Amino acid sequence: MTFLPGWPGGLAVDGLSAVLLVTLGAVLAAVLVFAAGEGYGARFFGLTLLFAAAMAVTVTATDLVLLLMGWEVMGAMSYALIGHDWWDARRVGSAGVAFLTTRAADMGLYAAAGFAVAGAHSLRLDDLAAAGAPWRDLIAAGVVVSALGKSAQLPFSFWLSRAMDGPSPVSALLHSATMVAAGAYLLLRVHPLLAATGWAATLVTWAGAVTALVLGAVALAQRDLKQLLAASTCAQIGFMVLGAGAGALGGGTAQLVAHAAVKSLLFLCAGVWLGELGTKRLDALQGAARRHRTVGAAFGVGALALAGVPPLSLWVTKDEVLAGAVGSPALLAVGLAASVLSAAYAAKALLAAFRPGGGGGAFRVPLAQRAPLVPLACAAAALGALGLPPVADAWRRLLGVPDESGPGPWMVALSGVLAVVTVGAVMAVRRIPEPAWALRWLWSEDVASAMVVRPAFAMARALARFDDRVVDGAVRGVARGGQAIAGLAGRRVEFRLDGLVAAVGRAARGLGALARRPQTGQVHLYYAQAAVVLAVLVVVAVLAG
Amino acid sequence: MNENPADLAPELCALAAAVAGLVAGMFLPRTRQWPVAVVCSAGLVAGLAFAGVAASGPDLMAFDAFSVDPITHVTRITVLGSTLAVVLLAAGPVRDHPRESEHHVLILLSALGTIMLGASSDLLVLVAAYLLASIPAYALAGFGKDAPGTEAALKYYLMGALLGVLMLGGVTLLSGVGRGTAYAVLRTGLADAPPAAVAAGVVALLAGLLFKAGAVPGHYWVPDVAEGAPPAVAAYVTTVPKIGAFAALYRFCAETSPDGRHALLAVIAAATMTLGNLAAFGQDNVRRLLAYSTVSQAGYLLVPVAMAGRTGLAQPALLYFVAAYAVTNLGAFAVVVAAGRDDLAGYAGLLRASPSLGLSLIVCLLGFVGTPPTAVFVGKVLMFGAALDGDSAWLAVVAAVNTVASVFYYLRWVVPLFRRPSAPPRPAPGATAVTTVVATAVAAAAALLSLVLGIAGGAALA
Repeated sequence: MTFLPGWPGGLAVDGLSAVLLVTLGAVLAAVLVFAAGEGYGARFFGLTLLFAAAMAVTVTATDLVLLLMGWEVMGAMSYALIGHDWWDARRVGSAGVAFLTTRAADMGLYAAAGFAVAGAHSLRLDDLAAAGAPWRDLIAAGVVVSALGKSAQLPFSFWLSRAMDGPSPVSALLHSATMVAAGAYLLLRVHPLLAATGWAATLVTWAGAVTALVLGAVALAQRDLKQLLAASTCAQIGFMVLGAGAGALGGGTAQLVAHAAVKSLLFLCAGVWLGELGTKRLDALQGAARRHRTVGAAFGVGALALAGVPPLSLWVTKDEVLAGAVGSPALLAVGLAASVLSAAYAAKALLAAFRPGGGGGAFRVPLAQRAPLVPLACAAAALGALGLPPVADAWRRLLGVPDESGPGPWMVALSGVLAVVTVGAVMAVRRIPEPAWALRWLWSEDVASAMVVRPAFAMARALARFDDRVVDGAVRGVARGGQAIAGLAGRRVEFRLDGLVAAVGRAARGLGALARRPQTGQVHLYYAQAAVVLAVLVVVAVLAG
Repeated sequence: MNENPADLAPELCALAAAVAGLVAGMFLPRTRQWPVAVVCSAGLVAGLAFAGVAASGPDLMAFDAFSVDPITHVTRITVLGSTLAVVLLAAGPVRDHPRESEHHVLILLSALGTIMLGASSDLLVLVAAYLLASIPAYALAGFGKDAPGTEAALKYYLMGALLGVLMLGGVTLLSGVGRGTAYAVLRTGLADAPPAAVAAGVVALLAGLLFKAGAVPGHYWVPDVAEGAPPAVAAYVTTVPKIGAFAALYRFCAETSPDGRHALLAVIAAATMTLGNLAAFGQDNVRRLLAYSTVSQAGYLLVPVAMAGRTGLAQPALLYFVAAYAVTNLGAFAVVVAAGRDDLAGYAGLLRASPSLGLSLIVCLLGFVGTPPTAVFVGKVLMFGAALDGDSAWLAVVAAVNTVASVFYYLRWVVPLFRRPSAPPRPAPGATAVTTVVATAVAAAAALLSLVLGIAGGAALA
């Protein structure tokens, strides 16, 4: 299928797309079943399906035009879903922040499409790396900006914090297999382009690494379960971005799939607690996991997987990603530090949920909400199998990167030990350092507001004033001038013209009456008049010669 | 000398039809005289056929006094065609009239005189033609034997008598000072004659022709006759005699003088068109309105006459305009005959009541204004061209101003056609179904012919 005549492209499924489609389908099914248990209306399901469909188009598109379409519809649907409870001004505002932030970053993709037309004479994603010298760098820059924006990497991370105002199923979907995953997917997809430019791959690698580290710290500082999970999403996506930049495509994709399972599981559990207990504050959730065995067990599996505890999934996929970073000790160090932080914040969540006390008895959870948790928990636990050497080789062949090497055994062991030690330490001391600077997400929203939003509004106000006073003023002035001239014409010219016309009419009427005077009806008068006229005519004839 | 009677075949046809009609009228029962109308129509059709054949022949002079040239051809065809239309218009109203045959014969004889008027190139024949054209028309004007008709006939006759006598005086004077009556002789003879005597003689001669043309100062009869005479006769006397009169005026001016009678006729033309237009302003009687309209049209028609000998455009302008005028004027009068009403208010809603009649009237009235693509438009264009070509821009300006002014009263008649009738239409007094149908057909034919002539003439001009 070609969308634009003369511009080859369309929808196609290859290994990477297939993996993402299966992931999307699985998570979507889980989320829909869960949401059915919560009793959402038709609008929610319609928007969710549209959201997932847009993601499906995005991951199967082979050219930039279709990709952009899916990308844009996904952004719009994220706005509609985050602001699902439209009667709450705060949520609608959050939806706006999320939408505008990702939208601003999307400009990069539009620019990249334009540069691709100009430089590569093709919109196909696999042709981008072959673009000419200045164009290739420009395309790469545009793609990187929009992908970082979509996947909430630094410096765009704050929108994900605001996105937490949406319903929990939306968060589960948005944080796992759609939206943020789309950014990571795009970077994985265009890795040849990033590698071809040189600088872009390095930039992406470090952006992912720094995000994983810093947002790990942010997650550690959170006192709200959903905020903690959101920041952890940023950090985990950071690993995928790191993998995409460093060339660990198999690892990055495995990380994406495993993280989708883990994070959707955790958000659905958080959703259960939010629904049943009415809170998502960590201190208020004390002992929540003990009050319902299935939910608690699922949450425990998910949190341990998030922590990277062997043999659960993220332990091995993270190491697969870091296998791409072995060439740079600094990068490896940052990655390992981020791993430690992820173990720490996962342990913080675990501690909050499983700490004895808090009171309250067991509660009942509808089957529809319980059911999806079990397969997701199994997946979160078992996807670590992707790291087993025979499975890993098949995985890489599926993705078309058979030459990638896996992590060394020492690294797997090291990260596993680090994770276990960290979790154990946190459990033992029951006190976690909470960096105060990270609580408000590094004030990145305030910074963006101060640096972008306020200047934009100020400029808009200035332009509006310019429009009102100068442009509109000129138009009004012209209208006033025209009115004045018209009034002048009406009073001075029109009056005289009108008078002139009336005078002509009066004169004609008078002359007409005069012209009928000779027609007396009396023949002797006719004779006399005819004689006089003929005499005059004789005079005329004589004078004229 | 050419004395071949075949050169006068169209005229002889009309004469034969008139005589045959007269004879037939003597033997037919009083109430069954319609065959006379058929005989007269047949004579006119035959005359038209002969005239058409003659028009393709060479120019010649018959009996030393009768020119057969383009002027005569147009005069013949226009007069015979117009007379045919008038006979058709009159056939309904005079049906079963005790003097039906006389009516048709008088019309034919008057038409015969009119053709002679336009074709003669000798003053004596001109006088004879004048009398032949006028005297039957006086009788026709009073044909209804009612008070307005009688008054009209008397005024018509008295004006005609005075101006005819003046014309005879003018002929005497001119033949005296010009030593002859043939135009070719006068052309040389008048050049040497005393100018004052020539001027007096020419004005006296023109008096009679202007009376026939309905131009100042011989126009006094026009409104009275148009209003008082039977409508078909009004259509006749305001249309047919004018054709011959303008042809005679043009021929006299062009053939007896090297540069025409420019100043005299230009003054008459300006006075006539202005007076006719101004006097038409306040008229509420459509026949009086049409009468003054014919006076103003006579003024326009005098413009090419005034340009005789000064520009080659003068003759085509006059001939085209006179034919266009005849068609348009007959169409308008045919509508009056069909509608059977004389008051302007009676025409409200005519377009709805009778679309063909209303449309014909609109075409004719806009034609009088000179709206393309009607015939008068082409005639007026040629007339303006002749005026400008003949170095009389002032006359063109006067004609243009008059044309603009004339829009007013023609539209006064057009506008009510689109209104809703204020009262349910009353059956028109004195109009039978046959009369209405025939008159509507004549009006539609005249309107169509006006459009055809206008489009064809416009195409020819372009």
